[in-house]
Amino acid sequence: MKRLALKSKDVRIGVFVCHCGSNIAGYLDCKAVADYASTLPGVVYSTTNLYTCSESGIAEIKRAITEKKLTRVVVASCSPRTHEPLFKSACKEAGLNPYLFEMVNIRDQCSWVHMNSRDEATEKAKNLVRMGVAKAWFLEPQEDFEMPIEARVAVIGGGVAGLSAAESLADMGVSVVLIEKSPQLGGLTLKLNSLAPHLHNPDDLVNPLIERVEHHPKIKVYKESSIKKIEGYVGNYRIELDVKDQGVIQEAVSAVVVAVGAKPYIPQGLYGYDGERVITQFELEQRLKSKGVGDAKNVVMIQCVGARSQTEGEKSYCSRICCATAVKNALILKERFPDIKVSILYRDIQTYGSDFEAMLWKARSMGVRFYVYDPSDPPKVADNAVLVRSKIFSDDVLELPADIVVLSTPLVASDEAPVIANLMRIPTDANNFFLEAHVKLRPLDFATDGVFLCGSCRFPCTSEEARIQGMGAAARVGALLAKGKVISSALVAEVDSSTCCGCQGCLRICPYGAITYDEGRHVCQVNPILCKGCGACTAACPSQSVQLKGFRPSQLLPQVRAAMESLKEMFVSCEL
Amino acid sequence: MIRDKEHHVLVIGGGIAGIQVSLDLAEMGFFVHMVEKLPSIGGKMAQLDKTFPTNDCAI
Amino acid sequence: MDVGRHPKIELIAYSEVEKIDGTVGAFDVTIRKKARYVDESKCTGCGACAEKCPTRVPDPYNEGLGERKAIYRYFAQGIPSTYTIDPDACRHLAGLRAEKEGADKSKIKKCGVCAKICQAKAIDYSQQDQIIHRQVEAIVLAVGYEVLKPEGITEYGYGRVPNVVTAIEFERLLSASGPTAGHLYRPADFVGKKKMPEHLPHAKRLAFIQCVGSRDGRRFIHCSGFCCMHSIKEAIIAKEHDSELEAWIFGMDIRAVGKGFEEYRLKAEQIGVKFVRSRVAEITKGPNGLPIVWYEDTRARRVYSREFDIVVLASACLPPKDAPLLAEKFGIELDSFGFIKTRPFAPFDSTREGIFVCGCARGPADIPESVAQASSAAARVAQVVLQEARKVAMQ
Repeated sequence: MKRLALKSKDVRIGVFVCHCGSNIAGYLDCKAVADYASTLPGVVYSTTNLYTCSESGIAEIKRAITEKKLTRVVVASCSPRTHEPLFKSACKEAGLNPYLFEMVNIRDQCSWVHMNSRDEATEKAKNLVRMGVAKAWFLEPQEDFEMPIEARVAVIGGGVAGLSAAESLADMGVSVVLIEKSPQLGGLTLKLNSLAPHLHNPDDLVNPLIERVEHHPKIKVYKESSIKKIEGYVGNYRIELDVKDQGVIQEAVSAVVVAVGAKPYIPQGLYGYDGERVITQFELEQRLKSKGVGDAKNVVMIQCVGARSQTEGEKSYCSRICCATAVKNALILKERFPDIKVSILYRDIQTYGSDFEAMLWKARSMGVRFYVYDPSDPPKVADNAVLVRSKIFSDDVLELPADIVVLSTPLVASDEAPVIANLMRIPTDANNFFLEAHVKLRPLDFATDGVFLCGSCRFPCTSEEARIQGMGAAARVGALLAKGKVISSALVAEVDSSTCCGCQGCLRICPYGAITYDEGRHVCQVNPILCKGCGACTAACPSQSVQLKGFRPSQLLPQVRAAMESLKEMFVSCEL
Repeated sequence: MIRDKEHHVLVIGGGIAGIQVSLDLAEMGFFVHMVEKLPSIGGKMAQLDKTFPTNDCAI
Repeated sequence: MDVGRHPKIELIAYSEVEKIDGTVGAFDVTIRKKARYVDESKCTGCGACAEKCPTRVPDPYNEGLGERKAIYRYFAQGIPSTYTIDPDACRHLAGLRAEKEGADKSKIKKCGVCAKICQAKAIDYSQQDQIIHRQVEAIVLAVGYEVLKPEGITEYGYGRVPNVVTAIEFERLLSASGPTAGHLYRPADFVGKKKMPEHLPHAKRLAFIQCVGSRDGRRFIHCSGFCCMHSIKEAIIAKEHDSELEAWIFGMDIRAVGKGFEEYRLKAEQIGVKFVRSRVAEITKGPNGLPIVWYEDTRARRVYSREFDIVVLASACLPPKDAPLLAEKFGIELDSFGFIKTRPFAPFDSTREGIFVCGCARGPADIPESVAQASSAAARVAQVVLQEARKVAMQ
């Protein structure tokens, strides 16, 4: 194999082998590793520490950098995930570029997994250190990217989630542009008759919120607007809107909150839906709010219509809020018309938590009837009744008289969701709900920096949950904006345009939308602010044109070779 | 935003909710004092093996 | 980890708040820092002390299924990584106390091994509790919840019938860092034994009982929100460990209402987890010393009994034990379920201005909900603190 040529004058490596108390020293000979390191080409200083991460360990690193004029530091200790930032800061404080630091894991990857083979573990640690030193030879100084960021945010969607986000942000001193497609703020909530579980009037929640938002000095509201274009990245978004009676407007913002909500599913062709006698739960809300239910004596509600289904065209998920809504409306019907008979046909009654469960108990005590049905044998809607086989009573089919049949259908993604997803290149799932960065730990962030989400466009939720998520998204934005700048690690991908052939393999594989294609020059380019340094693009590139700084082939291949060869065999000290 | 004076907040409880609220407030520029009655933070989540629905490790 | 390293977070662990005086914008908080008998600034978390400590006690982190030493770390990756001496378990501290009370010196067993072995010289048997004060503008209560210990539900046999465990105990059994390193042994086969016996059989038949203490007119009517999901999860993971294992989930309604949850439930069905619509009547001890579950399958309209190796009780999520005490100490109200009460349309405001609440302390919530709530509570705190500051500035 070819020997690698280097300029040896600039490389003065310091190696620090950590005992980690007894975590490493208890299982391998640290002194032997440090002695071995001192024989490696380029290593001018080699020592052991009890705890390199302790105050004294850090002080020693800084002192060695100054006294021995080190130009590279290698620490052989635990996982980079624990103390790499600490060691890098130490280098920086001593005047050494923090990217000239390399960490070798001889704990998690050596002493902790070879607890009964002291000699072999010591040999392995020596090999690992040799690999780290090989890489250290080829490290390059780097600078982090800093970009100033202005406290100005766009919120797309003027329902409860969007309004809550806007209000929260504005109270924190952030300028907000609120964009709503309809003439009226308030979204789906304002169209409801009442809010579970306490049966509050939605106007009492939404109207004061709308009032605050419309009159807040820090919020600009655009109604009856559609978004034509959203370009850019965190700190630098440009939005083009078409606003009724105002024409095309440009807005520049640093971050975007997506709150476009959801809409009720219309169960065409299911259960004889006709919008008159067989209606949706949402349509029932409208009637309860206005004209009422006439002289209906029997109401039968059917849950999970078009939901929890594997049938083409229907939805597979449980829409979370429909059971609580049905129980709420059943309660209201009973309160208004004590003699009305209300039955709910269900698969599972999803009145989760404390207040919703209490609502269920109240409904039962008021005489609302509950019948479970099996999805393989669903209810049938006849002219004056609903037929259901509820096996918990008998194998017979029950005939429940029904003047009105109410179908509880799921909330589905709004028509705006795929449009926004496309414009902003943010991901949606199979149901067109937006896909967050991490379903558990980062439910309000997108993987792409600078974009956040809240409310039913993420997944069906109650008005209170929408408010909570809106405020939460505001906090996430606040955290981004608080420092006044965005700092991005230097270890990002970079395209050599002289060898790039424009195949766009990297662009397609990038999970962060950090790569764009320059039509004019037929090459790809990486946005260093959005790049997270995952390296997927470098694996996809057929010509090694895109490389990850700090992990270039010219840095990694010597490291790999050093696993098997001695460095003296690998290197020649002549000019490249 | 929060630049003129340093504001202090107390968070009682070091489970996932306490941790998240502390991190968010700290990132926004607040100084957070977090009090936890057990010897270390992590709460109930630290006792779980994996979490639903992704079966990620709880730690 | 992020919390431990953040320059703007002061972590005061192993401590409790004793008093809150003042009002929003100007609270004076009294905190008791309990003595660890270990100097935080010196302890490096190396663990040599625990290795040598001669005293073993049941480990609350493993729900009593395993043991830990008198000097311990709550769990391996815990932050802070400082060790703590349990004053009720440590024989040296007990000896010192007895000495002080004038007991017969020859009868006192002392130790001191940890202090001798500690290379950082961090052990300090003379450490005292410390009272410290902090001035803050707002307070967030994220004090979590408690799992119902189901001894009181006598028909389920917890504590009487062998191999009946709570869900959190089961989590410890499944966990690679738990008392059985993730092997699904039956607890009755090893708990309380001095050494883990060899060649224990693995549990092959699991029963998960939902709504234990929840949705129960005699005990707690509320639904604990996340137990259907964690039972499904535990069943799926147990089957991943062993595909031949049988897992039955007994519940009235299976509440899989979050994002991706219905799909997760479907996955469980597809890999053979059985769902029985029922409310288990009783758990008895069978002739083999294993639990027998008595239930009515409501769809079949028949009563059955069936033997299982381990029965997992999805025990209710309750407000923390000391909630009433906290409420009194902090001047806030609890709701009718015993959780911390919040104001209508202000989902994180407690009934005392300047004190906020998020997470399970407010009511049952799963992890994504708790995380979202925490972020929004942060926004609410920011809003209120800044408003107060502006008010003061204008005076």
